[in-house]
Amino acid sequence: MAQPFLKKDDDHDDEVDYSPFLGIEKGAVLQEARVFNDPQLDPRRCSQVITKLLYLLNQGETFTKVEATEVFFAVTKLFQSRDLGLRRMVYVIIKELSPSADEVIIVTSSLMKDMTSKTDMYRANAIRVLCQITDGTLLTQIERYLKQAIVDKNPVVASAALVSGIHLLQTNPEIVKRWSNEVQEAVQSRAALVQFHALALLHQIRQNDRLAVNKLVSSLTRGSVRSPLAQCLLIRYTSQVIRESASNTQTGDRPFYDFLEGCLRHKAEMVIFEAARAITELNGVTSRELTSAITVLQLFLSSTKPVLRFAAVRTLNKVAMTHPIAVTNCNIDMESLISDQNRSIATLAITTLLKTGNESSVDRLMKQITTFMSDIADEFKIVVIEAIRSLCLKFPLKHRSLMNFLSNILREEGGFEYKKAIVDSIVILIRDIPEAKESGLLHLCEFIEDCEFTYLSTQILHFLGIEGPKTSDPSKYIRYIYNRVHLENATVRAGAVSTLAKFGAMVDSLKPRIFVLLRRCLFDTDDEVRDRATLYLNTLGADGAVEDMKEFLFGSLDIPLVNLERSLKNYEPSEESFDINSVPKEVKIQALAEKKAPGKKPTGLGGPPPAPPSTIDAYEKLLSSIPEFANFGKLFKSSAPVELTEAETEYAVNVVKHIFDGHVVFQYNCTNTIPEQLLENVTVIVDASEAEEFAEVASKPLRSLPYDSPGQTFVAFEKPEGVPAVGKFSNMLRFIVKEVDPSTGEAEDDGVEDEYQLEELEVVAADYMLKVGVSNFRNAWESMGPDCERVDEYDLGPRENLAEAVNAVINLLGMQPCEGTEVVPSNSRSHTCLLSGVYIGNVKVLVRLQFGIDGPKDVAMKLAVRSEDEAVSDAIHEIVASG
Amino acid sequence: MILAVLFANSEGNILVERFNGVPAEERLHWRSFLVKLGADNLKGVKNEELLVASHKSVYIVYTVLGDVSVYVVGKDEYDELALAEVIFVITSAVKDVCGKLPTERLFLDKYGRICLTLDEIIWKGYLENTDKDRIRRLVRLKPPTEF
Repeated sequence: MAQPFLKKDDDHDDEVDYSPFLGIEKGAVLQEARVFNDPQLDPRRCSQVITKLLYLLNQGETFTKVEATEVFFAVTKLFQSRDLGLRRMVYVIIKELSPSADEVIIVTSSLMKDMTSKTDMYRANAIRVLCQITDGTLLTQIERYLKQAIVDKNPVVASAALVSGIHLLQTNPEIVKRWSNEVQEAVQSRAALVQFHALALLHQIRQNDRLAVNKLVSSLTRGSVRSPLAQCLLIRYTSQVIRESASNTQTGDRPFYDFLEGCLRHKAEMVIFEAARAITELNGVTSRELTSAITVLQLFLSSTKPVLRFAAVRTLNKVAMTHPIAVTNCNIDMESLISDQNRSIATLAITTLLKTGNESSVDRLMKQITTFMSDIADEFKIVVIEAIRSLCLKFPLKHRSLMNFLSNILREEGGFEYKKAIVDSIVILIRDIPEAKESGLLHLCEFIEDCEFTYLSTQILHFLGIEGPKTSDPSKYIRYIYNRVHLENATVRAGAVSTLAKFGAMVDSLKPRIFVLLRRCLFDTDDEVRDRATLYLNTLGADGAVEDMKEFLFGSLDIPLVNLERSLKNYEPSEESFDINSVPKEVKIQALAEKKAPGKKPTGLGGPPPAPPSTIDAYEKLLSSIPEFANFGKLFKSSAPVELTEAETEYAVNVVKHIFDGHVVFQYNCTNTIPEQLLENVTVIVDASEAEEFAEVASKPLRSLPYDSPGQTFVAFEKPEGVPAVGKFSNMLRFIVKEVDPSTGEAEDDGVEDEYQLEELEVVAADYMLKVGVSNFRNAWESMGPDCERVDEYDLGPRENLAEAVNAVINLLGMQPCEGTEVVPSNSRSHTCLLSGVYIGNVKVLVRLQFGIDGPKDVAMKLAVRSEDEAVSDAIHEIVASG
Repeated sequence: MILAVLFANSEGNILVERFNGVPAEERLHWRSFLVKLGADNLKGVKNEELLVASHKSVYIVYTVLGDVSVYVVGKDEYDELALAEVIFVITSAVKDVCGKLPTERLFLDKYGRICLTLDEIIWKGYLENTDKDRIRRLVRLKPPTEF
């Protein structure tokens, strides 16, 4: 068959790239598929049409339900043909079309006939197709044949049945579990692949039965495993057994360690590597145990196969995080990998070297990295920069060469994220290593001379304003700063003016010259730049106390910017000037929520430090400023605001729950939406009769709540220390209302006491859990170990779909979903969700949720919890059991 | 699980794209990610020389075979070494089908046979057959020789 094609190629030399599928169109192919209905089937033509259908499907093309059904019915006619090639194609296309349950019946009898056929290959293929399209009922009918197939003499038939079993275990576990005996027999098969598939299935069937897995591993580690693939599986199962049994044996001998070490001498590289990795990941691995594994990994570093080099350096990189000394022997081999053509390998090698390198090797390493940096992508570069930053903090004496390296790469081409990583690193080094300050500041100055990112320029100018005046010769920075006033956009120019003012304020000898420069800025084209120059000239030139001036320039603005903005907007120009003291200082909660939204807008220049404080920091600051709450200790968690009123009501109130170890503080954020009213002495009366473990200890009223100017009142409760107490609280807003004259804005002297009913509020278990993610769940799970693991199963009852059940449990626990496992693929019948968090008392918790849904939408869940404290693991189960 | 097997031509157009356990909405993202990875790194790479990358807990092994590039994506037990085995099976079987290193035209001419071959190698994300001679027999519905 190959000959005519080659000939065709020769005939069409000019059209060598001409695609046989050029101009292929779904509608036309579907028309062609009618050929399947011909009474006289042409197998060759039918195969060609199926190939076209496969091509379309492989390009991501989809068929509508009607189209798929039509093609499927036509394809079923092809079972009449006895042509082997066509039959093979039919099997593939049926699997691709995935007919629906009501259509499957059409082919069931044909496939069942093939499954019991004397032709082995019909059997193997029919099993695979049937298992793909079958449901529970049909599976019971064919179970007998499948069990026979598992122990079939033909390895292809046995493998087909075993791999089908692996898939069916997800949907019909109770049926597949009945095949244990046959699978056990297949594990002893002489055919390598059958053994591999049987081992994988047997382990999946028994994975929850520790004793059975232990037995399986014991018998196989003594016997012979034929294929390297199966041997790798066995190593994985063995390390699982070692992890689980380590805590039970105190003798010091690690069970099965000899087996792992023996595998280091296996002839297949795959097996050697798997064993080496398993050893490096053992809990509490000793340096003696590590040595043998690292020796083989070191050999792999110089392998000709990139995959082996990658695998080895990846594993060593992980080992270097916990046992850097053990990896130092490999440093020379890793250095040669810096020039590896595969950039992933080179980056891993560099970051490992930076972790394991000693002080004397830093300079040599930096030289090598310099050549490497120019030809890798930005995302790799950022990883390297971060590693260099940690190295510099580890060896502060080497700051000179590391700082030089950072400044050199700062001059090269690169995107914003990359440049920001470098600037951040330099700033951190300047802050932490005093000797690095002057050279670091000069590098930053040179960078802003030719910096295309406004954000970075303003950040650097701000930083220069704080650090520059404290150096031995502040005057040398002025040139760089003043250049910005001439050469940059308005935002940067305004930043430069503020920085100049700071130098003027701090360095008396420079003050007169700074005045000259600031005066020149009075003619700038931009309002903000001119206004700043005027402001600073007046402030610096005034006779007031020097301390006041410094406080003005360097102190942080203790007024929330949103409040200031709102007050300025409300201010009407009059003879009375705007008084900044009239701006409310309380943080309006919505404003904080907005700040959390991403956005790299530069913050007020010359104002507070660049990074806006996180919500929790702001809360902490706010609460610690209130004497009644000052002795509550460290704030563990603040919830998101919970609305206690409906939208568009007279008074808008939401509450933030602040959790301390032995206290809970409710922060009620109140807004008065009636212009004709002024509320005074605002409090919330809380009824905690449905929250038995809570006792009210303090209440802080809000003295005045004018129109549209949010304020807060607080109520604090004591609760048993460290206990995740829950309860329900009903709330009543109580206040004195005074009429306000809209024309003058003045309130009457007398007011009336009034109340306003608010919604109920609950403290739930999730309030005691911080959402803290982990970057690699599996590693975190394994390093946490099974000592405090608790596993149980729950019936969640009927649910709309799996996604709803998954969300409900995530919300109940209040934990952080990891690795995107909160997303449930549509129509899934089972799903695993991984969660991570920190429970009150700073106990790390990891949760593995396995969900399954059956026909009438009943959801079952298996919950496995690992934490650092078994009481916490139990507590998580209690939350789920009572939720 | 083997999450994806993808073949593309030298311009980055998809020839075969098979996903397992990857939600439909993520497939386009994977497709463009892999094609970009190839465009960035496969220039000048020798035939069947393997390149490797990892992204979070997912591994990618890819290579060039004649005029086409081949990508295999896996996770969990299908790490870089297991994927190297998978891609080796795929490349040797494809060469076997084409009789030589495939040009794009040759690959498309043998498209049906290649689909059958892939069906024998990977089934729903699991490696099923590894020997090219056996695979050649299986796509013709002939039993393996050792049997």
